[in-house]
Amino acid sequence: MTPIGMEQISGREQTMQDCTAALGRLEQVVSITEEFDRVVSQALPILLDRATNSTKRFLRETGQWGDDVAHEKFALRWGAEYLEQFLVAGRSEVPCRPLFLLDSIVAKQHSRPEPFYYHPDLLTPLGRLIDGLVSRAAISRDALIALYHHCFGLGPGQVITVLGLTGPAGQRIYKNFKRWRDSGWQRTMDDMGITESDAQDLCSQLQRHHQQSNNEAERIIRIAQAHYRKSEPDHYPCLSRRQWEEMFLEGYSSDYRIWHLALCLDCFTAAWDLGFRGATAIEKPRVEFHVRP
Amino acid sequence: MERERDLTDYRDRLLNAVKAGTRRSACGTSDSIQVFVNQRRVGLLDGKGVEATLQVQTDVRIDSVQLRSEDGVLLGGLFAPEYGFRTSRIPLLRETIELRVQNYAQGGSVSAVSFPAPSFWHRARRALVGVADSTAPRPVAFAGSGMRAIAFTQVLLAVALVGLVADRTTGWMTPVRPPLPVTQTEAPWAAPLAEVTKLGQQLVELSRMQAKAVETIQTQQQGMAQLQRTMAKLSSTQETVASSVLTVKQEMEQRRKGAGRDADRVTRVIMSKAHNAQEQLEAEIHSLTVANDRLSNELSQLDQNNQELKKRLKSAGVDVSKATIPDREKPIVAQQSDTAQLP
Repeated sequence: MTPIGMEQISGREQTMQDCTAALGRLEQVVSITEEFDRVVSQALPILLDRATNSTKRFLRETGQWGDDVAHEKFALRWGAEYLEQFLVAGRSEVPCRPLFLLDSIVAKQHSRPEPFYYHPDLLTPLGRLIDGLVSRAAISRDALIALYHHCFGLGPGQVITVLGLTGPAGQRIYKNFKRWRDSGWQRTMDDMGITESDAQDLCSQLQRHHQQSNNEAERIIRIAQAHYRKSEPDHYPCLSRRQWEEMFLEGYSSDYRIWHLALCLDCFTAAWDLGFRGATAIEKPRVEFHVRP
Repeated sequence: MERERDLTDYRDRLLNAVKAGTRRSACGTSDSIQVFVNQRRVGLLDGKGVEATLQVQTDVRIDSVQLRSEDGVLLGGLFAPEYGFRTSRIPLLRETIELRVQNYAQGGSVSAVSFPAPSFWHRARRALVGVADSTAPRPVAFAGSGMRAIAFTQVLLAVALVGLVADRTTGWMTPVRPPLPVTQTEAPWAAPLAEVTKLGQQLVELSRMQAKAVETIQTQQQGMAQLQRTMAKLSSTQETVASSVLTVKQEMEQRRKGAGRDADRVTRVIMSKAHNAQEQLEAEIHSLTVANDRLSNELSQLDQNNQELKKRLKSAGVDVSKATIPDREKPIVAQQSDTAQLP
């Protein structure tokens, strides 16, 4: 055997030994939060793989697994999501055994009726991008505002007009747009595993088959919105045109308008021209999907 | 191979993102913090340098509370206990968020309070004010008062050191005066040395006080932990008792309802039987009435027939009586005719 081969084997053995030692530490009780942080930060790859494998097992056992990159990325994404929650909230569970705490968090998530949103149409490159944008909108105001741009091609000024915002609420829209362009979009692409070449391919596809791609985008947006709209506050249901009109005229519930209209194509279409106060005749909006911010 | 590399890159990116944690957020200190309960947005903490509070009550049991920046980065959070309460202090860049979550038998509540991080002078002033006000009884946290005591001791130490340094500096800066005739007791180093010794003693005493304060805080923290455990136990016992009472009530209600149902059923059966009997009786009466009517008709008909028969009989009697006389005469006539026919 060559010296390089020997080195590789010994390196692998060393890695195995390190892994076993780290697992041993994770199985022991940690008594204080500093110890929890230290032990966990040294074993992040192990914990990510464990959470990912649990997610894969769940997908297999529920008949949702497919042996391809899209499914592998889906499992990795949710593994990372669980790991992040474990890192942040796990400190409140000290004293504990970190490895078993992670297992219990993942098992608890998987015991829910719908732990995450799995839909085959959201595993295509376009579906993954839309899933990333809409799921991000459920937790990030920047992404929420950016949906108006990605779905309809609106700029900050148009968003302010369409939503009938005034004063500081309007200023915040500019801030949201800026932050999304600076870092938010790229972070979402990284989190969803969408590479630069994937984004480029999607852009060219939209240019080549404009109408067809936009129809497909609208269909997928409706699928994603129907799920992620559940994350908005309880008291934000769909309203009739008359109710929206009243809200726009009275000028209350700007938060309601911002949240719900970004996540509901039908309500957005119904309330589209209310922000313009009848100043101009505006055509009903149509989905014009934009890949880049 | 391509697939493996793609997946490895993605895994590395995710790991880096997890390692970066809250540093990923591009939000400034003036931006509000979103509060999520059970992964659903419930409100904002919009402190902007002042204390802000968010109180939320839910009908469902609370599983988790999360704090996220406006760009969606997870800043902190905690898992709620099955029953009872749990608190957590989450230090952020320019503020500290105190989360308190409590679960009841039905529903739960969350309280999030944002405290802006105070500056050094602010902390010192608060410490002094806290000690000055310590005579007045107030419902303050034990740990908080302990921290104030430590801060006050530190301030005292700092003041003492500053005094010492100022004294030395003043000594050096002061122009040298012409030597005055002094006695042995008024030697130039006698007074400063005494002061230094005195300050030293004060420092030792302050250190001792600080150590004592730390001990007290530790004892108080242990006491608090014990108190929390007891409260949690008490809360769970209370829940158990409440649920037992509820179960007993439900059982009693069920039994009462069951007994009521039995009585109702018996009554219904008796009533239905009585009703049936009544219906049968009515039917029988009806049939009897009908039969009676029929019989009456028949009787009247018979009566009429009887009358007619009587009439006929009477008339027949009359006819018979009328007929008997000619008959006696008739044979004679016949005899007469017969004799006439015979020659």
